[in-house]
Amino acid sequence: MAKIKNSEEDELTIALAELAFQKEEKEKLVAELIIVREELAFQKEEQGKRAEELGIANIELVFEDDEKGKRAAELIIANKELVFQNEEKEKRAAELGIANKELIFQNDEKEKRAAELSIANKELAFQNEEKEKRAAELIIANSELAFQNEEKEKRAAELIIANKELLAFTYVSSHDLQEPLRKIQTFVSIILENENDNLSDNGKYNFQRMQLAAGRMQQLIDDLLAFSRITTTELKFEKTDINTIIEEVKAELKDTILEKHATIEAIELCPANIIAFQFRQLMYNLISNALKFSNPDIPLHILIKSRIVKGSKLNNKKLSPDKEYCHITIKDNGIGFEPHFSERIFEVFQKLHNKEVYGGTGIGLAIVKKIVENHNGIIIATGELQKGATFDIYFPAN
Amino acid sequence: MNLKQLNILLADDDTDDCYFFKEALNESPLSTQYTAVHDGEQLMQLLTNDTYTLPHVLFLDLNMPRKNGFECLSEMKRNEKLKALPVIIYSTSYHNKIAEMLYQNGANYYISKPSEISQLKKAVQQIITLIAQGRISQPTKEKFVLTTEKNNYQKLLWFNDFFAIPVAQKINKLP
Repeated sequence: MAKIKNSEEDELTIALAELAFQKEEKEKLVAELIIVREELAFQKEEQGKRAEELGIANIELVFEDDEKGKRAAELIIANKELVFQNEEKEKRAAELGIANKELIFQNDEKEKRAAELSIANKELAFQNEEKEKRAAELIIANSELAFQNEEKEKRAAELIIANKELLAFTYVSSHDLQEPLRKIQTFVSIILENENDNLSDNGKYNFQRMQLAAGRMQQLIDDLLAFSRITTTELKFEKTDINTIIEEVKAELKDTILEKHATIEAIELCPANIIAFQFRQLMYNLISNALKFSNPDIPLHILIKSRIVKGSKLNNKKLSPDKEYCHITIKDNGIGFEPHFSERIFEVFQKLHNKEVYGGTGIGLAIVKKIVENHNGIIIATGELQKGATFDIYFPAN
Repeated sequence: MNLKQLNILLADDDTDDCYFFKEALNESPLSTQYTAVHDGEQLMQLLTNDTYTLPHVLFLDLNMPRKNGFECLSEMKRNEKLKALPVIIYSTSYHNKIAEMLYQNGANYYISKPSEISQLKKAVQQIITLIAQGRISQPTKEKFVLTTEKNNYQKLLWFNDFFAIPVAQKINKLP
């Protein structure tokens, strides 16, 4: 029985369990239903929200639609703009194309130039090198020149010293050599005066010859000094009145002029650019020369005149045709000379006469010639025996 | 003023020139007492010696050792005691620039040593006559130089360059 009972019990338990289960199920269903209901309510709520949202979204859409319309309009404008810009760009592009071609052309040219330049550059580099070589050579040449210059300066300094020595020597000759000569002359003059009665005629003659010789030596020293002086002294040209010079020379020679009854006529003498003291010497020598070689039978007349003349009119190859020359003539009526001596009379120590008849050392006219040469001029002597002599001097007027 | 004896002083270093001078004096009709000194220092010592009686005339060479004639002349002209002593230049060299200087410094006459004794006699005679007659004074410039050699023109030109101008400059610098 237990078993039956048990079974019954079991069945019951099961049924109970079944019932509990069903109940549970029902509760679950109810719960589920509640949930579903809740769910539905929620969904409904959600639908309402959605509808609301849709309404909003719709409004939104309408707005967006508006916006899109606006955008479209803007886009149309923008499009037009773009079309315009595009056109512009095309134009630019065309222009750029042209410019590009141009640039290409220019580039080509530049390349050509560059090639040329590179050649030129090479050339320059070569020239530069050459120049550097030259410069180096020049530096050497320069130092050579500097050395030569120094040497020349030394020479010049030596010359100045030598010149001073020469001057000192000439002074010594002038002063100291003449001193013993003067004394010889004075001693002889004392002997001739004091011992006149004690001397034989031959003795007197010898002393007179001695005096003459001493006198000639004195003259020779004087003349040589004058000659060297013309060569060594500085040349200073200045505008000078030749009339004044002639007056001075006349005053210097007035005793001889009186003695020879000479007249000196100076006409139309223009001022000239000369070395005054040399010119005075020149005039002195020429006038004293005329006085010395005067004709004893005719009173001496010396004519001195001058003119300015164009070189082209003088027809002398030693004179420049376009220069103006001062032409001075000194003409006398003395003993003259044979025409073939006209050059020789200007040489040093050349004399045409025996010194017993006409004294002198043969230096006077050499000095004259030298002075004329110092004035860049020429002197021409013309003469005829017993018919006087003429000296023509030409030197640049300026 | 007529003097019995003329006291003459010569300052010259050259023996021959002293001899020539004495020779020139010898024939003078006037009685002369001649003394010679041979350089400028000697001359100035003698002249400034208080016991020394001054001569009637001094003949003065220019180119002398120790002190030259130019210096002696300017010293004398600055000295009250010696100022009035007649000074005759007796020199070899002649140049008109130097002559001018000496004239301005108060020298009375200038004798350029000639080469003829007769010319020297003439010049010396001329001076001592003037002294004896008390007529010595400075003449005009033209008569200042008593003897010049004939034909010494070129020499003078030369002298001008080398000697006269430096000397003239030197004289100008003297006080």
